[in-house]
Amino acid sequence: MPIVVLLLGLVAGLLMGLLGIGGGVVLVPAMVHLLKMDQHLAQGTSLFILLPPIGLGALRQYWRAGNVDWRAGVFCAAGMILGAWLGGKLAVPMSTKLLQIFFGTFLMFSALLLWMKAQPKAEPAGAALKEGSV
Amino acid sequence: MSRQPWMDAGVLLVGVAGGVASGLFGIGGGTIMVPLMGLLLGFSQHRAQGTSLVALIPPTGILAVLAYGKAGYVDWRVGLLLIPGVFLGGIAGGNLAKRIPAAMMRRIFAALLFALGAWQVASAVRGS
Repeated sequence: MPIVVLLLGLVAGLLMGLLGIGGGVVLVPAMVHLLKMDQHLAQGTSLFILLPPIGLGALRQYWRAGNVDWRAGVFCAAGMILGAWLGGKLAVPMSTKLLQIFFGTFLMFSALLLWMKAQPKAEPAGAALKEGSV
Repeated sequence: MSRQPWMDAGVLLVGVAGGVASGLFGIGGGTIMVPLMGLLLGFSQHRAQGTSLVALIPPTGILAVLAYGKAGYVDWRVGLLLIPGVFLGGIAGGNLAKRIPAAMMRRIFAALLFALGAWQVASAVRGS
């Protein structure tokens, strides 16, 4: 079991470095299906993993290539603290089944967003901001 | 261009969206922030990914972890075991990202995510 967990972490980390994401999108379903955890437990554990600065190694690679906007990163982090508090409040009282359905729908939605970005196309920034506030 | 106040406000909103997703689904939030920075704010893919990683460094999910922890929804042991793998994998992934055509990687990952999501919904509906 610990070996499986360590390998799982490695896979999640690889995705993190490769795609600039937290890795939780893969960790949560993996904990639910491979480790037979409850959806809430998997999500709480995933959030716990993301507390230490585990992405520092990955970030260094991007920084050396000049691909980091520090100012935007700081603003982004500020927004996240607030949002994560709200999200946690919403998720905890939800039923496991409902949460799992939401989670799955969210994954499919993010998949579509990722796919769209694969076509390089610049959006007009003004219209963009309005949508972003929803 | 990225130094204007509206850009800061836009990034802040992207952060809120990422944070809600993070707390609600127990994830980092980068999955949603990276595409949003690219699609809405015009960041290049690599820049969006690097910037998302900055936002993942501070413990932004602390309030969400406390909420989950109080309800007994955190497995501390599994969490601790996952951390070293994620850290090392992150370095390897960051290195790879510089060499691999990003568009192809993203499409493969998008397809994988979609399948995972469909599986989650299906298994919840079937009542497993």
